[in-house]
Amino acid sequence: MNWSIAKKNFSRQGLRASLNVLVTALSIIALIFMLSLLNGFQAQATRNVINTDIGGGHYRAPGFDILSPSKWEDYTVKVPDTLLRLHNKDKAEVLVVQGQLYPNRRLYPVQIRGISMEQSLLQLPLDNLKTFSANFDDLIPVVVGAKMAKKAHLHKGDTLTLKWRDRSGAVDAKDIIIIDVGDILNPRVDEGVVWLRLDHLRLMTDRKNEVSWVAVKHYIGLISEFEFQPVEFLMSDLLALWRQDRMNSKILWAILMTLVCISVFNTQMLNIFKRQKEIGTLMALGMDSQRIVRIFTLEGCLAAIWALVVALLLGLPFFIWFQGVGFDVSHLSESTLPIRETIYPDYQPMEIIYSLIIVFILIVASSWFPVKKITRLDPTMALRGRAIK
Amino acid sequence: MGIIYKIVIFIFLFFCLTSNPALILAAEIIDAQKLLKQVDDNLWSNTKFISGRLIIDNGRKERTLTQDSWMEGIERSYTEYKSPAREKGTKMLKTRKKLWMYTPRTDRKILIAGHLLRQSLMGSDLSYEDMMEDHKLSKSYTATFENFTNIEDIKCAVLNLTALDKKTTYQTRKAWINPENKTILKEERFAKSGKLLKRVLFKDYEIISGRNFPRTMIFKDLLKENTKTTYKFDEIKFDIEIPNRYFSLSILKK
Repeated sequence: MNWSIAKKNFSRQGLRASLNVLVTALSIIALIFMLSLLNGFQAQATRNVINTDIGGGHYRAPGFDILSPSKWEDYTVKVPDTLLRLHNKDKAEVLVVQGQLYPNRRLYPVQIRGISMEQSLLQLPLDNLKTFSANFDDLIPVVVGAKMAKKAHLHKGDTLTLKWRDRSGAVDAKDIIIIDVGDILNPRVDEGVVWLRLDHLRLMTDRKNEVSWVAVKHYIGLISEFEFQPVEFLMSDLLALWRQDRMNSKILWAILMTLVCISVFNTQMLNIFKRQKEIGTLMALGMDSQRIVRIFTLEGCLAAIWALVVALLLGLPFFIWFQGVGFDVSHLSESTLPIRETIYPDYQPMEIIYSLIIVFILIVASSWFPVKKITRLDPTMALRGRAIK
Repeated sequence: MGIIYKIVIFIFLFFCLTSNPALILAAEIIDAQKLLKQVDDNLWSNTKFISGRLIIDNGRKERTLTQDSWMEGIERSYTEYKSPAREKGTKMLKTRKKLWMYTPRTDRKILIAGHLLRQSLMGSDLSYEDMMEDHKLSKSYTATFENFTNIEDIKCAVLNLTALDKKTTYQTRKAWINPENKTILKEERFAKSGKLLKRVLFKDYEIISGRNFPRTMIFKDLLKENTKTTYKFDEIKFDIEIPNRYFSLSILKK
């Protein structure tokens, strides 16, 4: 009975109700889009970092800290048998030392990274290095990332001098040749990094069988002389950034919801004001004021339901289309975020359901809050249209 | 007739050999290590005070830093920068293998050790390590005589120096030494691979307190373009009394 009265009342509201439904529906679409795009962005960036640098975690020489370049050379260790026995698709041996590059005879401090050529755990554009032998002659073959190449004005085929220190601290320098400029999605392993074959770097620095870390696919237990650093630790700064992004998105979410709630609240207030005589009549005819509140609240619920339906009708084609074209973030190439390619929204069903439930509850609450004053209305004043001023 | 002929040839060769100064020198410089030690003995003194200028030319701009340095042996030295205003009051204290630096702007002393020593000293062609080089060449390298060559009409013996310890920064060097007055005129420092990295020119030699000392040293990082650092010694005093406080950490304050 209440439901049919609410439906009739709602349909009689006409344009006002339609606008209310449309605003709410668009807000719901914006909300889902924002959350899904953020999910997609974070998932892709995380995947890039894992695929190009972290893998499933690092077994590192104890004390090694990538943020303390002046101490990198102090923390290199020989690879233990446990890690040597791992399949090449499950591990990547990496040696890192400081170096100085001289592009156009200008000093450019770099990180020299040697990586085993047999590994297939990390996806890096270093295939051209595989064509060289374990020894080098006059020129040392290296690969640099596109970002590094742009910054240091380097091109494929360039030869320039690289300076480094060997294990004993003696200074050494040799000419290198850039055999490739690779497209590396993760700027952390691109900018300021010169990639070499691990055997070459070991030869250059007298560090036979030594590594700074071994990236592994999975944690394989404790290994003496090594400490395991999980993905969460190695990505702690990015994860903190992601958390901050989530916080920021919640603020935006709250703003959107506030707008929706204000819209519903405002509509309900207007309804009560305009329909005072109707309320007064219903009360005079003996209808319980609580029932009138329920009818008005149901009208709000109907607005929410219609908004969900419209959001579904408008949003679904939009989301399907957008999933196909994606969002180009190549402008982020200048930032240090590990993403440069087109990003695609990552729709999380549970997250969407939770969000819709919250939206629904908020709309119902916003519908109920203004109408609860009906219980305090004087029927005679309401009949004369003077109960609410 | 044959014997007379041989005697004549012998006398002729004897005169030729004994009258050619280059060959005389060659005979003397066979002991390259000794020559290197004589160079060290000339340059190194127990204590030394130097007031000088460090002219840093990075190819675009030239900066001049004035400084006073007090040195004791090969292990202790103290330097105070007097100008420009930006560097005024900066102090450096070297004690054994440690280098402490104090900057008045931060009012803190920093230990420059390990790999930090490889960084450039105030943007110059010298690293902190180069600056605090604390070994006599004759103690760290074995010298071999290569040949004679002229530098500005001065006949120099070219010595190849090979490091005795594999930890020595430059594993090989080349030194151009005037054997007459035991002064070094030029030095080249090489990477382990043999690549030439740095060149140091020693100029304007003067007799100061009985020692032949260069008034100017020019450092060039040969991997960089158009850069050089000139170290000019305006005032040099040897074997002076240096108060102990100059080599104490407590001096590193305003």
